[in-house]
Amino acid sequence: MTDSTERWGKPVCVPGDEDRDQERGSGGCLAGSMADVGIYMDNAASSFPKPEAVIEAMADFLRNVGGSSGRGAYRKALEADKIVFRARQAVARLLGVADVSRVVFTANATESLNLAIKGLLSPGDHVVTTSMEHNAVWRPLKAVERRRGVTISQASCAHDGTLDPADIEALLRPNTRLIVMTHASNVTGTLMPVAEAAAIARARGIPLLVDCAQTAGVHPIDIERLGLDLVAFTGHKGLMGPTGTGGLYVRGGLDLVPLKDGGTGGDSMLEHQPEWLPDRFEAGTLNVCGIAGLGAGVRFVLEEGVERIREKEAGLLRRLLDGLSEIPGLEVYGPRDPARQVAVVSLNVRGVPAEEVASRLDREYGIMVRAGLHCAPCAHRTIGTIQRGAVRISLGYFNTEGDVDRCVEALAGIARAAG
Amino acid sequence: MPFLEDIAIAFIEPCVADPGRVRLYAEPSRDLAEVLPYLNAVVNHAAYNKDGPSLTFMKEFRLITIYPRRITMSKAQNTTDAWQVLDWLKDLINDTYDRRGSITPVHGVRWRPTALQIYEWLPRTNCKACGEPTCLAFAVKLLLGERTPQECEPLFLPEHASLRRAFFEIVAAFGYPAPPGR
Repeated sequence: MTDSTERWGKPVCVPGDEDRDQERGSGGCLAGSMADVGIYMDNAASSFPKPEAVIEAMADFLRNVGGSSGRGAYRKALEADKIVFRARQAVARLLGVADVSRVVFTANATESLNLAIKGLLSPGDHVVTTSMEHNAVWRPLKAVERRRGVTISQASCAHDGTLDPADIEALLRPNTRLIVMTHASNVTGTLMPVAEAAAIARARGIPLLVDCAQTAGVHPIDIERLGLDLVAFTGHKGLMGPTGTGGLYVRGGLDLVPLKDGGTGGDSMLEHQPEWLPDRFEAGTLNVCGIAGLGAGVRFVLEEGVERIREKEAGLLRRLLDGLSEIPGLEVYGPRDPARQVAVVSLNVRGVPAEEVASRLDREYGIMVRAGLHCAPCAHRTIGTIQRGAVRISLGYFNTEGDVDRCVEALAGIARAAG
Repeated sequence: MPFLEDIAIAFIEPCVADPGRVRLYAEPSRDLAEVLPYLNAVVNHAAYNKDGPSLTFMKEFRLITIYPRRITMSKAQNTTDAWQVLDWLKDLINDTYDRRGSITPVHGVRWRPTALQIYEWLPRTNCKACGEPTCLAFAVKLLLGERTPQECEPLFLPEHASLRRAFFEIVAAFGYPAPPGR
């Protein structure tokens, strides 16, 4: 019995797989049973399973509330409005933001990054980024390069994905208008020196945009203490919410051109987007159902505690890395150190294509991982896997030591067979 | 269990004094009459009308009036802003209630609105029907006690019902009762 079982009390037992479900300690707080679907290790793509409270919040909204937020004087609409506010408040609290209105809801981290990048950069501007970015950063940058003549400099990261913040500083120019970097790589899990970059950015008066898709909810982030200017997050990974949710923190005093214009509710007389946040960037009816789930997910994270989540994931990661290090014929990328990365590991089995490894893990062992380039060709180029891709194992809060052991055994079996 | 558990927004409309902002009514989960003189002591520049009773004050650019069973807020930026300020207000009320043993309640008016603040809540037609050359002049005379709200004819037109409600919340702070059937 693991500590998580003790914490959550009586587990849900599924016929035929009682041991594994018991070990996971779902205790009724999880939606769905992992026993039904196998071992899910693709949490860097989307976390699964979700806390039961997330499903309940969404069902309650659909069944009992139903109104559009900010759009009506009747009580159900005001209730919808309050659900959105409470979710915003929970996110602000989790990320260390005092003014709740600075948290803007979007459809996902990609939209947030587009809003920040396209809302800030003008013709003639220069932007600095890293060689570990996801396409959610890289493609919007390439778009403004082509359409607006923005120039891009990319700081080269080491083979394990680590970045020397001095390399950011060295690339700054008089017309550098923005620094963009991920908080942790979605390929290697490598944590980036965000605090150091923030200090450099602040000293030069250049806004820093941080992509927290892989860290929000699983690694502490204190936006105002770090002095970050723009922070993009997604709702369906570490924040435990549904897909279709995400957001952007925008520091006070920093204005962006809205990505979209349209209705925002109570200020219909204005001919342009209102100046006030969050309405300025939230034209169109919000995904209130999704945000209801996101709010419940973030409250779950707050109740569990990010430190505890991080500690559990670091423990599982340590176990995974130790296990992998015993297997001959594996190439493991990234720092291979839980203190320097989130619980994401990419690897290759010598002589076996990544896609085949992932497929065999699924078909023969019931283990779900992702193979390929993970929408991050820059990062794969940096770690030397641009041609072959890699197998990515990404652990989540609901994985168990048993899951990790089965994954290690499975990979050992595949590597042995490849000989 | 806190003194005040919840403040629920009951109605939101565009703000009559600033169409880009919102005005709202909210309902506290319990009667606030007993805490008003204590709030009057802790809030800077509050206007307490013991006959209402009501307490009016500014929170930055927002105008807040607390009645025993109702709270109104004008010029909130948007609903997010309103919810955030209502959370702040709830904490202020609970904190004030908890510390009431060490607070000397104040029953007098500690703040009067300025003529410009009054002016914002007038129809601003400069129609001269009241005998003053401009609405701003009328606001000054109102503060001096030389004019009464009833002398502003446009204020009582049906299309200004919403403006009139807000106007009387402000002037109630210095003793003008609202006209019947407002």
